[in-house]
Amino acid sequence: MTLDDIPLFATLKSRLGYLGDRQQVIAQNVANTDTPGFTPSDLKPFTLPDAPGAAGSLPPITPTLTSPMHMAGTPASRLKSKPVLSPDSETTLDGNSVVLEEEMMRMSQSRMDYDTAVSFYQQAMTMLQTAAKRPGT
Amino acid sequence: MADPVQPSNIAVAVATSALKAEQSRMRVIAENLANADSTAQTPGGDPYRRQVPVFTPTTVDGAKGVAMTQVVADQTQFGSEYAPGHPAADPKGYVKLPNVNPMMEALDMRNAQRAYQANLSVIETAAEMDNSTLSIIKK
Repeated sequence: MTLDDIPLFATLKSRLGYLGDRQQVIAQNVANTDTPGFTPSDLKPFTLPDAPGAAGSLPPITPTLTSPMHMAGTPASRLKSKPVLSPDSETTLDGNSVVLEEEMMRMSQSRMDYDTAVSFYQQAMTMLQTAAKRPGT
Repeated sequence: MADPVQPSNIAVAVATSALKAEQSRMRVIAENLANADSTAQTPGGDPYRRQVPVFTPTTVDGAKGVAMTQVVADQTQFGSEYAPGHPAADPKGYVKLPNVNPMMEALDMRNAQRAYQANLSVIETAAEMDNSTLSIIKK
């Protein structure tokens, strides 16, 4: 039995993974604040995984190369959930719709959520330890 | 070109690519400002032409980073000034002046600075998130 078998820990783990991925998507948006025609994207709101080992939680598949003549192909994005285009409130003349302020807000929001999840994890851990302690100590 | 230090976090890698792009953009702005008064060497010749950086999304670690892929010349008209004694004056006595507008460059510079700061705070946040994860094992 691992910690992932406890539903609370599995949920927290996927939540942390989701927030890490979201941070990556926001980093892409911020990096492209001055790229003409760029539309920012965001992840869909977090949903609980249906069951352990559901389709959403599978790692990306990479083909095995058995001959040097095989082409590796483009590796799939490492993001678990697919980012969707979500333009910010303004679009500039060059077609770029990244608003730095909104991206910063999204970023600190996901950072706060991340901290919440981490402290939740710690609390649950402490609770487990309390339960596992020998009585009377 | 591979980086000597590979950032562990993809968000950091993306933000780093943007930092580099903004640095290159800063270089172009500096060139424009430095040459705001550079005229031609020969009579009637063209002066310094303003350069414009072009940003394009590039793949960094499987994510979408950014890079300054090319620098193109600004095709707007040159200014001109009547200065018959100038070595670059044409037969009528006019000297062509660069199409650099210091005000525009100052605004561009401000923009580059803002974008640079935003990317730095992305790196900071990513580091803080990593740190809070590490705090789990500190106990």
